[in-house]
Amino acid sequence: MNIIFIAVNLAFALLIAPVIDGFERKIRARLQNRQGPSILQTWWDLIKLLKRPTVEPQGSIKSLYKLAPYITFTAVLTAYLVVPTLLPSSMNFIGDFIVVVYLLGLATLSFVIGAFSSGNPYAQIGSNREVSLFMSEELLLALIVSTIAVIGKSLSFEQLFPLPLRISSALALILLFVVVYVASARLPFDIAEAEPEIIEGPLIEYSGKHLGLLEYSIFLKRLLLYSLLLNFIIPIQNPIRLVCYLIGIVILSVIYSTFEAYYGRFRIDQAVKLMKKLSAVALVVWIIAVVGW
Amino acid sequence: MLLEILKGNDAKILRHDEKVILALVPNDKLRTTAELLFKAGCYYATGVGVDERLLGVGFSMYHIFNCESEKRYVILKAVASNLRIPSITPVISGANWAEREAMDMVGIFFDEHPEPLRLILPDDWPEGIHPLRKEFHYNERPPKVEFKPPKREKKPGVMEVPVGPYHPTLHEPEVFELHVKGEEIVGAVYRGFHVHRGMEKLAEERMTINQIPFLAERICGICGYTHNCAYAQAVEDAAKIEVPERALYIRTILLELERLHSHLLWFGVAFHLLGFDSGFMHTWRIREAFMDLAELLTGNRKTYGMNLIGGVRRDIDEEKKKKVLEILEKTKKETKEVLDNAAGMKELISRMEGIGVLPKNEGREIGVVGPVARASGIDTDVRRDHPYAAYSDLDFKVPVYKEGDVLARFLVRYEETFESFWLIEQALDQLPPGDILNEDYELPEYVVGIGATEAPRGEDVHFVITEGGNKVYRWRPRAPTYNNLPAVPIMLMGEKLADAPIIIASIDPCFSCTDHMVIVDGEKVCRCSLDDYLRGL
Repeated sequence: MNIIFIAVNLAFALLIAPVIDGFERKIRARLQNRQGPSILQTWWDLIKLLKRPTVEPQGSIKSLYKLAPYITFTAVLTAYLVVPTLLPSSMNFIGDFIVVVYLLGLATLSFVIGAFSSGNPYAQIGSNREVSLFMSEELLLALIVSTIAVIGKSLSFEQLFPLPLRISSALALILLFVVVYVASARLPFDIAEAEPEIIEGPLIEYSGKHLGLLEYSIFLKRLLLYSLLLNFIIPIQNPIRLVCYLIGIVILSVIYSTFEAYYGRFRIDQAVKLMKKLSAVALVVWIIAVVGW
Repeated sequence: MLLEILKGNDAKILRHDEKVILALVPNDKLRTTAELLFKAGCYYATGVGVDERLLGVGFSMYHIFNCESEKRYVILKAVASNLRIPSITPVISGANWAEREAMDMVGIFFDEHPEPLRLILPDDWPEGIHPLRKEFHYNERPPKVEFKPPKREKKPGVMEVPVGPYHPTLHEPEVFELHVKGEEIVGAVYRGFHVHRGMEKLAEERMTINQIPFLAERICGICGYTHNCAYAQAVEDAAKIEVPERALYIRTILLELERLHSHLLWFGVAFHLLGFDSGFMHTWRIREAFMDLAELLTGNRKTYGMNLIGGVRRDIDEEKKKKVLEILEKTKKETKEVLDNAAGMKELISRMEGIGVLPKNEGREIGVVGPVARASGIDTDVRRDHPYAAYSDLDFKVPVYKEGDVLARFLVRYEETFESFWLIEQALDQLPPGDILNEDYELPEYVVGIGATEAPRGEDVHFVITEGGNKVYRWRPRAPTYNNLPAVPIMLMGEKLADAPIIIASIDPCFSCTDHMVIVDGEKVCRCSLDDYLRGL
């Protein structure tokens, strides 16, 4: 049965991730007093991209360049086997929390390597930025993971969903809320893809199917991070968990896209500075958790 | 003061009134005269090469200086002897482009010019053919010449990032080649002029003086009416035409309306480049009100088509006046709200503060104009220094900031926006009765006229030599961006790559305005040489 439930979860993620993006686009448009596209627009874009042929740039390392989108996509999908989304069932083993963090890291890494191998100066600058942002974000994430592990006294999701209500857990979840925002590459943190500056940075040379897969991975990654955050809050055995989960997704989308509509873009050094400050805060939260509050 | 300088250098004064001093300077004294003028507080506005062989003079070069202290334009005329004129670029770097343009288009050779490279003509253009000479016709298409760009060396550790010719930052084709180490810009090369339309030639060969205003308006898609006004003023200056006062007021209203829509457009673009898309959408929503106002007053949203020599074509009646004031009141509130919100956003301000600094003395040497100059502490404004239209009767402030960074340019435009509201209200209130067009004039033969306006981007100079019989002999528009662009590489040096788009946009560039074309490839391009020029005669 469990296998079937996991399959349902996967299907849900694959179907709904682009729809959520469409929903956020709609909200942003309304805030900027525009009509905005239909909620399904992101799906139409993806379908169109997946139908198109791909082009490899001349100066690229072709094997790496072609492989990268598939690795990114697979890494994100694998993480869905471990993190429950719609239905409260997933593969559980000791240390699966760490595995999810690593899978997300792998997705970013292969994305960056693919961009680097394209040989385009814009892509290289974009990858540089992506890596520096990822590094600064990783430290913060590590501190949050250790805080959560200290609170739940475990590293597997079974004991961690949901977190017990304490001062430290609330603070840790607020920090996680910020990390989710940064990791989903939104304004003011879409520095790597900054369209007016470096023309979508790492994505610049990608086209057709590869581009579609990479975009798809980004949407899936966002939904995965949402689910992770919600699972820490919503009791896993609750009968109305499903309803709560869906409402939670909508609320997060609204909050995040509102933020996004009212921010300008950071420069990379500003973003890294902010991450450093937050890491210091996270360290304090970890200490609070160790003390046992 | 200026007269003494000119007379002390054996200059022959050809015209002297409260607007213009025109002096014929002997070639050996040209450089010292230019230097003395520059030290007396005049900056280099532009230079015009003219083929005056039909007047029995040969080729001549007019160097136009803007002297704010004496509220005059000083024009130095130099006549080429054997196609040669000494270059003044070694003493005033702002003359660089103007002289190179004259080399390309008229074929005058400037002695000791520091970089005698092609600027306007593409590299596949044949040697010895100069489009602005009178024997060249506007519909000629010379055969292409094979051109191989030389190979360029790569510096280790430095990446070349081409911003352009097609890039989402830029709305028009041109190239900024940035040399980048990591995130820092260590060098910047500008190459532009991909959008040449040969308007000067068209105007000379095909058009009557009253058709050119409509062509001049199409120089630019944002600040067209300013060019139109500047041209009309140049002809009115040459022919000494009295323009009815009511027409002057109507011109003022439209000029300020254009400034409003242009500044709001710029705010939108700047917000977009900083990633603040909501601000972009809202400013453009407000801007729509000004487009509607323009339509109400002139019948067109953008290309007003209002000017003729000697006045304007349409009147403003009481009903329109009321409506305009009503809409202005409403948009003023909205504009203030949106711009104040943006100015209160910390991360937006921190992205603009302290980047793209242009020091005052370098700006003066290049001759930057408009908001760029005013943000660097240079107190210049054509509306105040050389009053035209109805500006001498109206009251307005000229904002000046001394920081010279992008934020200062933002704030200058912010203040100017609200000054423009105030100016339109005043002009509408004081609108005098009377005619709007004076058609009773004679066009003199071969008289120099100059017209200048303060476009949204800065001083816009038009130079005209009339040719009786309803034609012009030479018309030369000089858009403000022509003077501002050479300052951009200075601003870019040592900045972060992420700031490049907003720095480039901070001068509010208008590339179609600059109105020329060059395709430069490689470090060394076609060098101009005197032998080729002489062969072409």
